[in-house]
Amino acid sequence: MKRNWASLAALMALALVLWGYVVGPLVSTFQRSVASGQGTFAEYAPFLDYGSVQSEALRGSLFISFVSVITSGVVGVFLAVLLNRWDFRFRKLYQALVLVPIALPPLMGVKAFYLLYGKAGTFPQLLGEIFHVSPASFALTGISGVLLVHTLTMYPYFYLSVAASLAQTDDSLEEAASSLGASSFQTWTRVLLPMLTPPIVAGALLTFMSSMASYTAPLLFEVNNVMTVQIANNAANQQPLASAVAVMLAVISVIFLIVIRSYEQRSVYRSQSKGGARKRRRLTSPAAKVILFVSAMISTIILILPIAMIFLLAFSVNYSWRTAPLPSAYTTANFVKMFSDSNTFDPIRNSLEMSAIAVAGALVLGVTCAYVTARMRVRGKAIIDIAMMLPWALPGTVVAFNLIVAFARPSVFSFGQVLIGTYWIVPLAYFVRFSPLIFRSTTSSLTQLDPSLEEAARTLGSTWWGAFRRVVLPLTSSGIAGGVLLAFVAGVGEFVATIMLFPKLKYRPLSIAINDELNVGRWGTAACLGVVQVVLVLAVVVIMRRVEDRSTMAHTS
Amino acid sequence: MDELLGPEHQGKVGKVNVLTLEALTKSFQRAGTVVDSVDMQIEDGEFFTLLGPSGCGKSTILRMIAGLEEPDSGRILFESRDVTREPPNKRGIGMVFQNYALFPHLSVAQNVAFGLEVRKESSSEVKRRTASALEQVQLEKLGSARVDQLSGGQQQRVALARALVIQPKVLLLDEPLSNLDAKLRGETRVMLRTVHNATAVTTIYVTHDQEEALGMSDRIAVLNGGRVHQIDTPREIYERPATKFVADFIGRNNVIEATLENVTDNSAEVRFENGSRIKLLPQQKAADVTLTSGTRVGVCVRAESLRITDSNGFCSGELADVEYSGVGYWCVARTDLGNLRIEVPGSIRLPAKGQRVLLAVNETSLHMVKAS
Repeated sequence: MKRNWASLAALMALALVLWGYVVGPLVSTFQRSVASGQGTFAEYAPFLDYGSVQSEALRGSLFISFVSVITSGVVGVFLAVLLNRWDFRFRKLYQALVLVPIALPPLMGVKAFYLLYGKAGTFPQLLGEIFHVSPASFALTGISGVLLVHTLTMYPYFYLSVAASLAQTDDSLEEAASSLGASSFQTWTRVLLPMLTPPIVAGALLTFMSSMASYTAPLLFEVNNVMTVQIANNAANQQPLASAVAVMLAVISVIFLIVIRSYEQRSVYRSQSKGGARKRRRLTSPAAKVILFVSAMISTIILILPIAMIFLLAFSVNYSWRTAPLPSAYTTANFVKMFSDSNTFDPIRNSLEMSAIAVAGALVLGVTCAYVTARMRVRGKAIIDIAMMLPWALPGTVVAFNLIVAFARPSVFSFGQVLIGTYWIVPLAYFVRFSPLIFRSTTSSLTQLDPSLEEAARTLGSTWWGAFRRVVLPLTSSGIAGGVLLAFVAGVGEFVATIMLFPKLKYRPLSIAINDELNVGRWGTAACLGVVQVVLVLAVVVIMRRVEDRSTMAHTS
Repeated sequence: MDELLGPEHQGKVGKVNVLTLEALTKSFQRAGTVVDSVDMQIEDGEFFTLLGPSGCGKSTILRMIAGLEEPDSGRILFESRDVTREPPNKRGIGMVFQNYALFPHLSVAQNVAFGLEVRKESSSEVKRRTASALEQVQLEKLGSARVDQLSGGQQQRVALARALVIQPKVLLLDEPLSNLDAKLRGETRVMLRTVHNATAVTTIYVTHDQEEALGMSDRIAVLNGGRVHQIDTPREIYERPATKFVADFIGRNNVIEATLENVTDNSAEVRFENGSRIKLLPQQKAADVTLTSGTRVGVCVRAESLRITDSNGFCSGELADVEYSGVGYWCVARTDLGNLRIEVPGSIRLPAKGQRVLLAVNETSLHMVKAS
């Protein structure tokens, strides 16, 4: 059959691209790690040696990740239950605000935490003044600082999955439990919590993986004994060591990826009763009302403080913040300068450009892969699926390091060029890192699309391409667009891989400019660039909501 | 009405084989062989039904005719053209999907026009034929509506109009009534028949509902486990089932095991386990039953041909269960030949439950199949 040839050709092309830019570079890193000349696995031996840097880094990463899962889990589940089970004043507003931290830009966001809670930060200074002691005794430093950042940026993994699950469980289950004689405590322990187990596990897996990948927080809070920092620090001078750590981290990430994928395929508990929105409990006791209201307010404030800090800083005069809780002088000059001074504006343009190039490639790769894995009956599509999701699971430092190893020499996939040190290595890194976002969103809208729609178009005389263009694309376009926007803003904010790869000042992207400004103490200018990132993310979120609303309106049946 | 008629349908019905399936076989990795060497010939203008329990392969056969599945072996012929490897868009079929598969991003009229547009018909032609197709299914006022604003029955009619407007050689209906409530199902049956009579389009209808199949079809193919058990008119299938499966599946049959005795040229006797005997004519049997003394057979005794009597019963037992149906009673009697289903007219006074009853049977309605 003709289509078999076409699909075979598509499959080959996909395999080639995935090999060349995703799997191949990881293999190069592995080869580098076993080619140090001192015995094949010599570079891995130190992981077993308790006192070695590698072993410390491994233990450091694991420890931070375990604790992050617990702290983010407590915060996320608490907020999800608080904001979704009871009805009280401003609940909807809180629900919107607790998700604002998703818009925190990678580098500037962590810096905001540092300026709030770190050495000489706002809170240590305030508390120091109140209690007349050195601010340093209240400062969060080292691992505690990293854990705070992780907790307050990763709780959404728990919040989102638990909140969604709470919205789906219906009242009839609880009613059934109480009609069978269960107390409200028993209802919780025997009905509600077991139903919340899948979303909590899903959140924990994601949090653990993100914590293992976290680079910026340890960097700013000066925690060196984690794997990501070790890879970045040794990427240039001690490549065999960095390779071994990168491979180790990659293996852990891939294991988590596989666990997550298999967990996703397990059935989710869904509500069985039809119609009728869930009723939220109205509280009658005034004390309970106050407690809920106040705790919701306090948690929300804590969560949005870092974003507020970025905005505040953006309006502060550079170098005006020395030894006070907050900057002392304010201005709009930072914004004026950003759009007038090419030195500050160029990075914005560079980032937009690099991200756009990367997304164009990711769009083709992501959509093709999604269609192949979701619709075609071909062997080996599970491998495509894993290969495609691999860069999503790999930490940015590992992706960047793989590219450094693979493209430091000319290769077929770089058309015989050395890519390191050129403009193209950065868009390539974004392409590799963010294709999975488009793949995922396209896959999920494809799986929601009834295959019989495509079949109906075929029976009515459409060619395969006609059915794809006239039926599949229009119905999945909102999902694809969502993935594209996400990938685009992720590219604009990207710091972790960029810092390891970016070629020269002329091609400096946004996050590198922020880093440079922070290093010379021009916090106002840096924050101003951070605001650009925040606004971009928020704009995308708003657009996606709009598109989603419109498409659910048109497609509910 | 003529709008929906292909020129080839006008004025001639029957005899020409529009569609031939030859030794069609399909297996899936998980389910195993779901269609096992199926042969069928479907005549022009026929309303042909594939009937069987879920998993019998009927939908897979339909999807292979449509080109949505590729058979492992065997051939599909449209008249004399081999279409086995042809993609669905080249086959010129109309299909109504079980869930209708209406395009949610298109209006009702755009859905109906879809097939005409991909055929690159002129826009005036598209408009004219779309309007007349919508009129035929009485939806002319809803052309600009979104499909999610329609009721289930209306969606069903849009799907039918969309399949018919392209003047298909064969119309395929995949359990089109299964998502409708009882009343709508009745109305839609009438509409399907009306449309079929008007267009005379060869129709293949998939259902698991024997009542639909018996009521609507010219011929029925009864399937089980991927194999054809019988292809015949509804009446033949009902009165003369070819296998024990067909007898069990169609109507409310009791299949009672018995032994053939005293076989002569123009009669044969069946002896039941309880010793009673009934004399039958040699033609009261399925084709594969051999008339020799001592052969084990299954005797099909339809529920409506059993009656409660005072004397001369062929078996006895007690009434175990009674269900009022409006027209009469559905009863189950626990007898010396096992549990038997009986349909009793409402005009008869039923004995009390648990009471002993004698059962007699209308001998001319009996039919023998091969014992399992």
